[in-house]
Amino acid sequence: MFKTIRLHALLVAPCVIFSSQLHAAALMGFEESAMMMTEIGRYNQEWMLNYSPKLGYAIGVEVMRMSGKLEQATTLVGLNYTGLIKRWNLPHAQVNVWFNGSLGEASGLYDGFAYTPSLQFDAETTRLYFLAKARLIRTNNMNYDTAVVQTGFSFYETSFDGTQPWFVLEAKTMRNTEPALQVTPALRLINKNYFLELGVTNPFQGEGFAPRLNAMFVF
Amino acid sequence: MKKYSVLVAFLLASQLITMVSAMATTSIKAEVNGMVCAFCAKGIEKKLNAMQEGKGAFVDLKSRVVVMELKDGEDIPLEKFTQVIKNAGYAVTKVEKVPQSAEAIKAELLKSKDAK
Repeated sequence: MFKTIRLHALLVAPCVIFSSQLHAAALMGFEESAMMMTEIGRYNQEWMLNYSPKLGYAIGVEVMRMSGKLEQATTLVGLNYTGLIKRWNLPHAQVNVWFNGSLGEASGLYDGFAYTPSLQFDAETTRLYFLAKARLIRTNNMNYDTAVVQTGFSFYETSFDGTQPWFVLEAKTMRNTEPALQVTPALRLINKNYFLELGVTNPFQGEGFAPRLNAMFVF
Repeated sequence: MKKYSVLVAFLLASQLITMVSAMATTSIKAEVNGMVCAFCAKGIEKKLNAMQEGKGAFVDLKSRVVVMELKDGEDIPLEKFTQVIKNAGYAVTKVEKVPQSAEAIKAELLKSKDAK
């Protein structure tokens, strides 16, 4: 089964490199849609492709690659499930609680069965955004548990067909990676067809300079 | 004189046809909660645009409105229209058929935004 998963990952990953943001407010598209997402940073990269047969859940394939400072990378390939636990549709806001996680196989520095359950809370208006997420990323002897908080604001309102620029600030901790607290200010562009974010993670200059790209497409 | 009468009758008939067809224009207009992001609300537009009875959906995030003008002689039950939006993950608070074109509603919304 894992050979099949690996094959899928090989097919998906090159497409997704050009594509999203795994800490986006929407972890899935609409009913009968597919979503491609990626996050490419210095110490960890993630790619995911999922399909939502019905509102509220999606299944897909996820590839994660993590590397601590001066260590060999660990790659995790898994089947991913996303579930919308609760959504509040308010007059001028949307609030969501999500479950997301993969079951798969790790290889590289660490090998074996891996699992990555997470819970995410996000709240968004047309001008303000907040997200908090906690995720276990584990296999035998490996622990890349992650906690993320993001907040942001849009510079101005746009029409449904326009591109809306946002400023987003993220604080993230991931075990076994440095810096222990990763701070990433980013510019996010949201259009009805794509989600693109470019940020820089601390340290903001010198050898550790680490640009980060997030992208997402729904089709 | 007879020629003029025919011409006047023709013009009146044309005007009447135009008025009747304008009056027959119907759109479905829905007020939607939770619709805050174009990327997330894309599903509404895509699913509504797939409905053969409509001329294409118009979504306005700021006023939380989704509009679709119906093709002449076509109809969509309000329940079906509402269900499409619900299936995209949003809550419909009000839905109605209005005797206006999508363009007219768009202009109205623009005007109310300018007034604010």
